[in-house]
Amino acid sequence: MGWAVFLLGPNCIILLVHITPTLPGRSVRIVTGPTSQAKQAERHRSVGGEDDGEESRRRRQAGAASGMGDGRAGGANRPAWLQQYELVGKIGEGTYGLVFLARLKPAHPAPGRRGPPIAIKKFKQSKEGDGVSPTAIREIMLLREINHENVVKLVNVHINHADMSLYLAFDYAEHDLYEIIRHHREKLNAPINPYTVKSLLWQLLNGLNYLHSNWIIHRDLKPSNILVMGEGEEHGIIKIADFGLARIYQAPLKALCDNGVVVTIWYRAPELLLGAKHYTSAVDMWAVGCIFAELLTLKPLFQGVEAKNTPNPFQLDQLDKIFKVLGHPTVEKWPTLANLPWWQNDQQHIQGHKYENPGLHNIVHLPQKSPAFDLLSKMLEYDPRKRITAAQALEHEYFRMDPLPGRNALLPSQPGEKIVQYPVRPVDTTTDFEGTTSLQPTQPPSGNAAQGQSVSRSMPRQMPQQPMVGMPRVAAGTNMAAFNAASQAGMAGLNPGNIPMQRGTGGQSHPHQLRRKADQGMMQNPGYPQQKRRF
Amino acid sequence: MAANFWTSSHCKQLLDPEDVELVPAADRERGITPEEFRLVKIHMSFHIWRLAQQVKVRQRVIATAVTYFRRVYTRKSMSEYDPRLVAPTCLYLASKVEESTVQARLLVFYIKKMCGTGSDDKYWFEIKDILEMEMKLLEALDYYLVVFHPYRPLLQLLQDAGITDLTQFAWQGPREDTYKMDLILIYPPYMIALACIYIASALKDKDTTSWFEELRVDMNIVKNISMEILDFYDTYKIDPQRGLPDDKISPVLNKLPAKP
Repeated sequence: MGWAVFLLGPNCIILLVHITPTLPGRSVRIVTGPTSQAKQAERHRSVGGEDDGEESRRRRQAGAASGMGDGRAGGANRPAWLQQYELVGKIGEGTYGLVFLARLKPAHPAPGRRGPPIAIKKFKQSKEGDGVSPTAIREIMLLREINHENVVKLVNVHINHADMSLYLAFDYAEHDLYEIIRHHREKLNAPINPYTVKSLLWQLLNGLNYLHSNWIIHRDLKPSNILVMGEGEEHGIIKIADFGLARIYQAPLKALCDNGVVVTIWYRAPELLLGAKHYTSAVDMWAVGCIFAELLTLKPLFQGVEAKNTPNPFQLDQLDKIFKVLGHPTVEKWPTLANLPWWQNDQQHIQGHKYENPGLHNIVHLPQKSPAFDLLSKMLEYDPRKRITAAQALEHEYFRMDPLPGRNALLPSQPGEKIVQYPVRPVDTTTDFEGTTSLQPTQPPSGNAAQGQSVSRSMPRQMPQQPMVGMPRVAAGTNMAAFNAASQAGMAGLNPGNIPMQRGTGGQSHPHQLRRKADQGMMQNPGYPQQKRRF
Repeated sequence: MAANFWTSSHCKQLLDPEDVELVPAADRERGITPEEFRLVKIHMSFHIWRLAQQVKVRQRVIATAVTYFRRVYTRKSMSEYDPRLVAPTCLYLASKVEESTVQARLLVFYIKKMCGTGSDDKYWFEIKDILEMEMKLLEALDYYLVVFHPYRPLLQLLQDAGITDLTQFAWQGPREDTYKMDLILIYPPYMIALACIYIASALKDKDTTSWFEELRVDMNIVKNISMEILDFYDTYKIDPQRGLPDDKISPVLNKLPAKP
């Protein structure tokens, strides 16, 4: 049994529709009209969020009394907290569940007034009998404690006791590095301007420095997990997102490598690939190096083909891609290399490979003596103990020379320069909080969600098996939609699987307004790095 | 946060002793006295500890679970949140938070094994009950899950004082005793650690006076915590194997509503 919430028209009249998928023909019955719905909403509000448990108990009793077929029971199914949001649509999905875009209803509703956008990440129960997924627990635990301009802000946590699902509400970020890079590569065919690259990198490091100084390793940094705020107060500010793999490393009860293989292989540090047991915050810095290079060239730096079904983190092709660019690691330069399991036993004869001429500078098109190249090569240092830290990187010469990094990374670097209009996130407006596609309920809600899970689980492994010609395009068929669902497993997940997309219109408007803001910004904020000690 | 107690949610949530001891209205109406309220908390902390021995989790997981348990009852009543269900669920949630997950299935199995027969079936719950309570627990804890404990500061302080030979003895404090009290909800963990050192050095005739002076902490608080711990020993004289006697606990638990 399931139910669905439909949004109709600008005033968001909500109809509760009870779906009984077990019945032949999947009858859809409209139960409550807008008027009585409004009354119901009023009643819920007076009940308050605290009484959700009581409410669901009442609902269960009501449901039992009426043989679970009564629409009114379905009406009480809506948790009270849901009333504070207006659902816009689905913006992504991953192994954990779904991500929605919603708007907080304004306190004093008026025509044309819209509340702030919120991204709502819905977690399904991980497995039958396992309760709240450890991923959700980690994310809640960490985000509830931390507070930084460059880290995504958890604004609320909600629970729907009826179906045991958990919702995390975040400040919504319109862009992410994956989409920004893709836009430059595929639409503009032009590099990202140096001011933007530097500002993005600086803010990323600033957020990471905060995390690391609080003993948190992110462990899954990649362009799609690094969000960038759209128009508004925080325009062009980076938010590090997706803490589902993050760990506090001060006093782990188990070896850090214990809970499975982490980090998407393209951004995975060599010590992880070689089986290090107690890795450090340096793994995040490696990922930042890879992302820095990708911002410069618009292509992932090390696109290894992932070996499927390996229980350990060893990835031969990924290591080979790294060695080709950076040269072979040596025990002289990286003493602890000798102790790493996969180097030591050398079953795949990686020790024998020899790549003599490191060609990093050719790939990123930077002079070897430039500060940018110096910083990049320090991030891509083989030995994790010698790799530059976030704190050190923030002090690097690169950030002290023109153009200086700024708070709004998306501003043009020169007053006369053209502003890049990045596309807004595609929103699938046909999906509701249940993950059900409205109007055409072709399958039971649970089936739908399960499908989402299995697709994304298998995809990270399959995807790199495709012939690698640059980056996969997202627009095309089912494979790519699935790729997105997988690689974007964060709140940055972009492409709703298999569903035709509707592009929003917000991104194309108001260039004048933006320019004005830009000018002010430049005047008030002449040197961002000088202010950074405030943080 | 994870490194800095002073900016943590734990620090911000520290309470006054009076607030911690307050019996929730719903429980007062059922005739539960402050003393009985305290007894149930001691008893259930012991229950968590015993259950943890069965499923074999580390000390820190137990400490976090007991802290959750005690925090819940500064906000919720025992009438509404059955302590016999909240206790194992706290252990379940704490095991996830401390990255050493115990399956709900296992907990249910060991509860039944531990609380064998007869009247003890009031402790029995099914997996579904624990999973439902897990969500209510998250809510009741206001989603604040990071807890600091006295263990780490205790070791550091013992080292600093140069009395690591007292480790074994002082360690008993946080390991077994302090979590039977509400200290963790009231005082910063390092103050609890200092009280444990204070007691240990007094009982073992170690002169730590000058070391304590150099620390520049409020010695009145340290002494107060120490007195509370010693009082607790005197008052309850808990059997380390069996916990509180059943005839003390059952009448109190019987005041709570029966399982639905």
